[in-house]
Amino acid sequence: MQEPTFLILTALAAGAQHGYGIMIDVARISDGRVRLRAGTLYAALDRLKSDGLVSSDKEEIVDGRLRRYYKITDEGTQELSAEVGRLRANTAAAAARLGLAGGTA
Amino acid sequence: MSELEHRRHRREKRYRRLLVLYPKDHRREHVEEMVCVLLAAAADDTLARAPKPVAWAVRFGQDTADSADLIAGAARIRSRLAANRIKRSRWYSRTVRDPQWSDALAVVSVVAPLLLVVAALAEFSIPQVAASFVTGHAHLRIDTFVSLSDLPLASGAPAVVVLAFLRLRQGAALAAVAVAIGLVGAEAGPALAGYASPAVAFSILLACTAAAALQLSPGPERGLALLTRRGAVWVGVGGVILGGFSVGGNAWFGYPNPQAGFTSFNSEVAGLPADLLIAVVLVGVAAFCLRTPVSRRILALLAVPVIPYAFLWQEKLAGDLVGAPGGASSVIPSSILLLYVPPLILACLIVAGTRLARRRGTGRARRMGSPRTPAGPRGAVRA
Repeated sequence: MQEPTFLILTALAAGAQHGYGIMIDVARISDGRVRLRAGTLYAALDRLKSDGLVSSDKEEIVDGRLRRYYKITDEGTQELSAEVGRLRANTAAAAARLGLAGGTA
Repeated sequence: MSELEHRRHRREKRYRRLLVLYPKDHRREHVEEMVCVLLAAAADDTLARAPKPVAWAVRFGQDTADSADLIAGAARIRSRLAANRIKRSRWYSRTVRDPQWSDALAVVSVVAPLLLVVAALAEFSIPQVAASFVTGHAHLRIDTFVSLSDLPLASGAPAVVVLAFLRLRQGAALAAVAVAIGLVGAEAGPALAGYASPAVAFSILLACTAAAALQLSPGPERGLALLTRRGAVWVGVGGVILGGFSVGGNAWFGYPNPQAGFTSFNSEVAGLPADLLIAVVLVGVAAFCLRTPVSRRILALLAVPVIPYAFLWQEKLAGDLVGAPGGASSVIPSSILLLYVPPLILACLIVAGTRLARRRGTGRARRMGSPRTPAGPRGAVRA
């Protein structure tokens, strides 16, 4: 799983969010390292929706403009959990080889 | 309208112009929220108090990055939709998803990059020198001169093989496409001047075949699993024969010969016996390939690049028979039609034959009430 996809699913794991909210949340989760732009975000959302990992939630009009919310699906939650497991195993292996105490960096 | 509003209006217009690049369905569903997100992300408000040059530079950078990102996003969505459309198509399900075509493509994803390396070595006359050493007809030397037109094949072919065996299949396919484009670019000048080389056409078509096989097949690992030891030997022999005893990459560009005028076949190594050997080996490989459904498909796939190569070989044979390399022969007339049409008809017959056999096999399986079994490794490439 690519990092933007992982971060988008992580942002949605806490609850449904609109596009701009996801962008802000992703920047916060990654400590400002990953800043998604609209083109990248909507291309990723389009792919995630067609893969069944994300679905549209409610819509609202704010200041005369449409705001659509997205939520993670059960399949998306499973996929994210599996990725977390993979990353955790890799991190533990790397930490063990580096001799880091407690298996954490 | 304040300056800030005016700027937002202009920005929105620019974004809407770029959003036209997105597919219609995507636009209908997302364009308003994308504009909303783009405007919300713009830092107009925070830049209100910044010095003018700083604000201008920040806005310019942001606009450029947003525009590039929108264009890249549109390209990503469109390419994904195109890939999905191909995957849903009838052609895809009958060829790439078909287990026998899939296996044939996997074997070609091993064979075509290796033949590409043989073609690259032939640019330096290396297989020809080895062949002339074996036959005692040693009048060739290794050509160490690398011209600009040699570079696409000389550097690209090893890259394709290395990437393919590092399991970077898409990278290898892209490298093969780059080789084909590089060769087309390098040979465009001579081709327009009337020196179109069938040897270069062979390399270009081979690179395209390798790219298609690498992209559409399960990959070289599957191909290696299918290639039995005997099959691998035949591939090696075929490669050496094509690269060594026949003419190489630079063959078409001749040199002035005081006795025979302008000689085209400066890479000729062993005369008529080698020509006959080439014919025997190629016919032998083709005959063995006719034995199983998968190898018939491999033959059909590899027939495509070999068609122009056959033209070179016929010219060479004609020259050998009359004793003047590159000269016309009354025994075998040197004609494009004569050489291009029979292999083309043969390839069409092979494709038609395999489709007919498959249809009959499916019909028989349906009548028997049993599903058709895909070809296993043992039944694949028994050359």
